[in-house]
Amino acid sequence: MSRTARTRVWTVLRDALVATKWLAAGLGTGLAALAACALVLGVAALSLVGVGLLLIRPALLAVRGLADLERRRLARIGHDTPSPYAELPHAPLEVLRALRDDPANRRDLAWLPLHGLYGSILASLALQAPVNILREGSFPLWWTAVPPVESNALNGFVHIGSWTGAWLVAASAPLWAALWLFVVPRLVTPQALPGIRLLPPHPDIDLSERVARLTATRAAALDAHAVELRRIERALHDGAQNRLVGVAVLVGAARQALHRDPAQADAILERVQTSAEDALAELRTVARSILPPVLENRGLTGALSALAADSPVPCRTTVDVAPRCPASVESTAYFAVAEALTNAAKHSRATAIEVTVRRAADRLRVTITDNGRGGAAETGSGLVGIRRRVDAHDGTTTITSPTGGPTTIDLELPCGS
Amino acid sequence: MRIVIAEDDALLREGLALVLRGEGFDVAAAVDGPEPFAAAVDEHRPDVAVVDVRMPPTHTDEGIRAAVAARRAHPGLAVLVLSAYVEQSFATDLLADGAKRVGYLLKERVGRVDTFVAALRRVAGGGTAIDPEVVAQLFAQRRADDPLERLSPREREVLAVMAEGLGNNAIAKRLYISDNAVHKHIRSIFSKLDLTPDDETDRRVAAVLRYLEGTATT
Repeated sequence: MSRTARTRVWTVLRDALVATKWLAAGLGTGLAALAACALVLGVAALSLVGVGLLLIRPALLAVRGLADLERRRLARIGHDTPSPYAELPHAPLEVLRALRDDPANRRDLAWLPLHGLYGSILASLALQAPVNILREGSFPLWWTAVPPVESNALNGFVHIGSWTGAWLVAASAPLWAALWLFVVPRLVTPQALPGIRLLPPHPDIDLSERVARLTATRAAALDAHAVELRRIERALHDGAQNRLVGVAVLVGAARQALHRDPAQADAILERVQTSAEDALAELRTVARSILPPVLENRGLTGALSALAADSPVPCRTTVDVAPRCPASVESTAYFAVAEALTNAAKHSRATAIEVTVRRAADRLRVTITDNGRGGAAETGSGLVGIRRRVDAHDGTTTITSPTGGPTTIDLELPCGS
Repeated sequence: MRIVIAEDDALLREGLALVLRGEGFDVAAAVDGPEPFAAAVDEHRPDVAVVDVRMPPTHTDEGIRAAVAARRAHPGLAVLVLSAYVEQSFATDLLADGAKRVGYLLKERVGRVDTFVAALRRVAGGGTAIDPEVVAQLFAQRRADDPLERLSPREREVLAVMAEGLGNNAIAKRLYISDNAVHKHIRSIFSKLDLTPDDETDRRVAAVLRYLEGTATT
């Protein structure tokens, strides 16, 4: 068997195993949801006679715990579902009001029976496949040992009373295996559908979500700002300032030499000049790292082709940005591309890089793809720096870099209008 | 006078050595980091060590720590610390073991060779040399309940110049007042800071320390 074929078989097998695991977890939450349904109905009935009112809060908290458990499962199978709850008040009447006003509570209660019935049934049907591979496959080994009532197949639908039947049952095992390998992995999302629909925050809540997110990104922006200021401070102190201090010291030395040995003074002044020129060069570099003048003069198109021309790895740019975006967005895109190019040149062993920048309505989309060996880890300062800059603008960064390549970095920046 | 220099920037290191040799000092070693510095001090037993604050590996306060360690290992070693910018906490760290034979100057002061050499000689001779910039910063951060608040503006000026390490004569020249007036101001400073008559030099140092400690605790 060739190497790629072996990898493919392994992938299929692994997908089936992972799907089985999450379906089993789904069966768990489903059965728990059924139990919770009974609990909620009980509390509702008791509330009619009064005493149940005190039990509403603990019951709701239990439902929330279960729903959060399911949310974690949803997140693991690729549906990120944040917990939407507001704090639950303590007084029974307040709890009733919260039950009426907080849509999250009502959505939880709707989810319970759906997931409890539909989710449990679908999960247990799906789980029949792996179980039956073993049960039906080994049927000829044990069917004579059990009482005739239990010697049946297909979950009891077909009674087996002969060896021919037993061998036929055993022959069905590969069918179950095919079902398990190729159908069961496709059932994970459908089985979780009630949760995917009902457990995320209600659309109305979105706004407060967004406020929270903006608060977080604003903090990140201030953070990125501070990091940037520290970088500039460092660059000024350790670079240009040092050179200028050198100028001051050497001018002192030159004046001192002037009296005693004018020839030496000239040699020192020569170095003073070099030091002053170095200081100027460093200042230019720092200034350019704050806002590259080329960006100001030639826009993103000119700035990025200048970057591409400087890139050690051949780089092609396609930039279609009209009208221009705000300066801060352009400079974020510029530095992200610069960082990505440096990163690719340093780590990827790529031989070609492709940069596309497009403006679609009020979003600026930047895609950087290289044909390198992939496996880019988001631990190096480069990629982290890109994400931080983009987050600060309330944008998104998607990095895909499978081992073997290619590496693609996708950025989306809101750029107003 | 034997001198050891520790400065990681090659240009500055050479410039310093050039200036000091030009003034007739014996520059025994010019090194680029805290460890070679400690070794050079052990080997050459200099009278004065000139140390840069930011040195490898972290480029933060290695120089201060190296200077403090060298002073502990060799009591009586005069240390002049050079810094690219003023950091008052560095000055406080440096003066924690006493203000004698200590200097803390901005790097560019080296360019004014005469003043720099005077400061170096003052430190080697048991005095203090604190950069006017440090002193100005300390004044900017005074607290209201500080004993230094009792000083008149003129007295504060005198104390600031005194903190730089200047003697009465030099203070008089700098502030364009008579020697007599300087003397009067200093006496008043001592009494306002509750420094009882004792050895004159010690009281000067104590006044400067009081002044620096005030900010250290704020």
